[in-house]
Amino acid sequence: MSQTNTITHDIIVVGAGLAGSWAALAASKAGVKDIGVLSKLHPLRSHSGAAQGGIAAALNNVRPVPGSGSSGPLEAIPPGEAPIDSWELHMFDTIKGSDWLGDQDAIEIMVKEAPDLIYEYEHMGCVFSRLEDGRIAQRRFGGHSTPRANYSADYTGHVLLHTIYEQALRYGVKYYPEWYCLDLIIEDNVCRGVVAMDILTGKLYTMRAKAVMFGTGGYGRAWKITSNATANTGDGVAIAYNAGVPLMDMEFVQFHPTGLYGKGILMSEACRGEGGYLRNSDGDRFMEKYAAGLMELAPRDLVSRSEQLEINEGRGVGPDKGGVYLDLRHLGPEKIMSRLPQVRELAHEFLGVDIIHDMVPIQPTAHYSMGGIPANVDGQVIADAEGTPVVGFYAAGECACISVHGANRLGTNSLLDASLFGRRAGKAMAAFIQNGAKLYPISGDPAQRQEERIQRLMDAPASSKESVAQIGAELKETMTNDCGVFRDGERMARALRKIKELQARFPNARVMDKSRRFNTDVLGAIETEHLLTFAEVVVASALNRTESRGAHWRTDFGRRDDTNWLKHTLVFKNGEEGPRLGYKSVNIDWEKYPPQERKY
Amino acid sequence: MATNGTTRTVTIRLQRFNPDVDKKPVMKEYTLEITSDTTILDALEQIKATQDGSLTFRRSCRHAICGSCAMNVNGRNTLVCNQRVNAHLDRKGAVTVRPLPYLPIIKDMVVDRTSFWEQYQRVKPWLVPPDDVPEKEFRMTPEEVAALNDAEKCIMCGACYSACTVTAVNKRYIGPHALLKASLRVLDPRDTITNERLIEISGNDGVFRCHTIFNCIDACPKKLNPTQAIETLRKLAQKREAFVAARKERQKSL
Repeated sequence: MSQTNTITHDIIVVGAGLAGSWAALAASKAGVKDIGVLSKLHPLRSHSGAAQGGIAAALNNVRPVPGSGSSGPLEAIPPGEAPIDSWELHMFDTIKGSDWLGDQDAIEIMVKEAPDLIYEYEHMGCVFSRLEDGRIAQRRFGGHSTPRANYSADYTGHVLLHTIYEQALRYGVKYYPEWYCLDLIIEDNVCRGVVAMDILTGKLYTMRAKAVMFGTGGYGRAWKITSNATANTGDGVAIAYNAGVPLMDMEFVQFHPTGLYGKGILMSEACRGEGGYLRNSDGDRFMEKYAAGLMELAPRDLVSRSEQLEINEGRGVGPDKGGVYLDLRHLGPEKIMSRLPQVRELAHEFLGVDIIHDMVPIQPTAHYSMGGIPANVDGQVIADAEGTPVVGFYAAGECACISVHGANRLGTNSLLDASLFGRRAGKAMAAFIQNGAKLYPISGDPAQRQEERIQRLMDAPASSKESVAQIGAELKETMTNDCGVFRDGERMARALRKIKELQARFPNARVMDKSRRFNTDVLGAIETEHLLTFAEVVVASALNRTESRGAHWRTDFGRRDDTNWLKHTLVFKNGEEGPRLGYKSVNIDWEKYPPQERKY
Repeated sequence: MATNGTTRTVTIRLQRFNPDVDKKPVMKEYTLEITSDTTILDALEQIKATQDGSLTFRRSCRHAICGSCAMNVNGRNTLVCNQRVNAHLDRKGAVTVRPLPYLPIIKDMVVDRTSFWEQYQRVKPWLVPPDDVPEKEFRMTPEEVAALNDAEKCIMCGACYSACTVTAVNKRYIGPHALLKASLRVLDPRDTITNERLIEISGNDGVFRCHTIFNCIDACPKKLNPTQAIETLRKLAQKREAFVAARKERQKSL
């Protein structure tokens, strides 16, 4: 029975964070006006807005005071004096940060176009912090060899998100706030649209389009301790995977070194960019042992591992000794209030600590998904290791794997990635439409299949003892314990068995809210189903990769192995048999940027 | 400091309402164990997970930046993600949570913010920059940026809008959130439609409707000051032509 309504647009974008809204704006500016953007939240609630520290670009506005060393004070580069930064340096830092797993052609595009992107943001009204002479201020960030993080105090993502959403409104983009995408329709390798629910009414719609883009964000909610919003349930990656699209490098999940103890809420890397220290229970700045050069500003994977080693060896702090201290006291009240006002509030509100006077306990927290839906530099999603396009399907931002971050992302490169490849995908979709893309027919009634899926959830017997929340909690516990900062084969095999068990239990889980109107109980169940879907891919990919690279660190295979593992993982859904693993080569310029040992 | 492990039993009193089945909102009580760290949002999540899955509320970021979870706690508008239950308990160990007042209820804590967003769009929240842009950034002074900081921090949660006595009875009033946003653009030296903006905000539904009773300041979870922004806009509206001329002059050296 085909009772569902149909909506048609030239372009449908799912997700209204930086990637999604940039794509919509860029496509609209390029002349395609029939665009619909779906978001399961109001667009301004998107998690891009939670980013704090900055967005990278080699603008050459700031340099360390000559002779002051790598952690000395910064100053504006006087007019006419030589630049210290370049896209080449940004590129090398990003490649090294990625542990050589990033695709170098994509990284080159990102770092070259970065300054232009920042200026476009600025011209559209973004309120950046400034130098005395009116140029954009810059600060240091982990793994970057120069100060190239452009920022708005410590709420950069918030400012960028509001700017881009408002400009998209200005250009007439139609938003569908609080619409939830349930399914992606791909037939014969051609994308034809999506199925979505208007959350307010619970009504389902088949949404047809010539081009569909996912900018659905990351998948950190599969871990118990995470900086991610409750919305970051990896819906896009799970939906794409179920529709037959492979997932790439899913084992690479970044654990941010400074999540508030016990909560996981982010204390920006800008804390360390502005000069903050990390200390163990003995009061020692333990990074001396692990990265004597960059100290606290080593890349995130390295700092998180160092923290975990201190904790594992008994030098942790906090009630169960599971954290270390972030010490900002020496920065002084003025710097803290002007540069880090948000983190001061957070530490105070959640742990009752005033960072001006006291150290704050922190711990590694699941933060960013390097892996995702494989796409090329125009956001065009690919179907296999050969790069065959999925016609009409695009992806950008955290849900995509382009891959610019490889095995570990540098701080401030995510806002850049999401914005820049969102913009590129928008332009590419506009060109695709203007070159005569067609609206392809849809066979069967995909909305009806989703209707039945929802009905099954509602029909689970009220007598069932199984609850969605319980299954979700067990999954998160498993992922944090057995697929976290340090991994090994035995624990990951156990995690995989546990995920299988949870998948088998899920159909018996009951949904208590039986109404149609704004049913967050049903949405929570579907989100949990998505967590179970991609978590299996994460663990299967991680278990198979018998090396340590970037954020994927195995105690039973403690070294990077370029001979066997300098390649992307590509996972295909294989019916009931579970994930089928394949691999894809990494784009490397062997002359300019051959793999090196990664030391900081 | 972080959790010390001790728990206590508290009562969470929640207003429940599904317009499809209920005639009017009712208060229901839920008992649960909390620690000193448990936030009101944590408590709502816990009730939803373990007692009643139909309890409905918006939330996302968990740290007071996304603006989803504004509600009314013990009669006062606030976000619930950054408020610890302990800080709001009465003598009997209870806390009362209702949806934001003066807005239509969609379900339980979820309110219809349509009028709120309409007013936001009405003030053209976007910057309209000059046609000719420089090769690099516009040169703004740190002081010009500082003047924008308050308005730029607004997370559009609706706490002020729902606390405002003017919007409560007059949904045509632009409202504190949108006037704060308007002030962001009016004060931005890069904006080119200053004249149009000042005319709009000084019209019948604008800044002169504000009763200056500061409910918005009291409600704002980000400690912003919409009343002051409204006051600034009033002054600028009264010397609109001079301000617009000064803006044009400023843009020559931007």
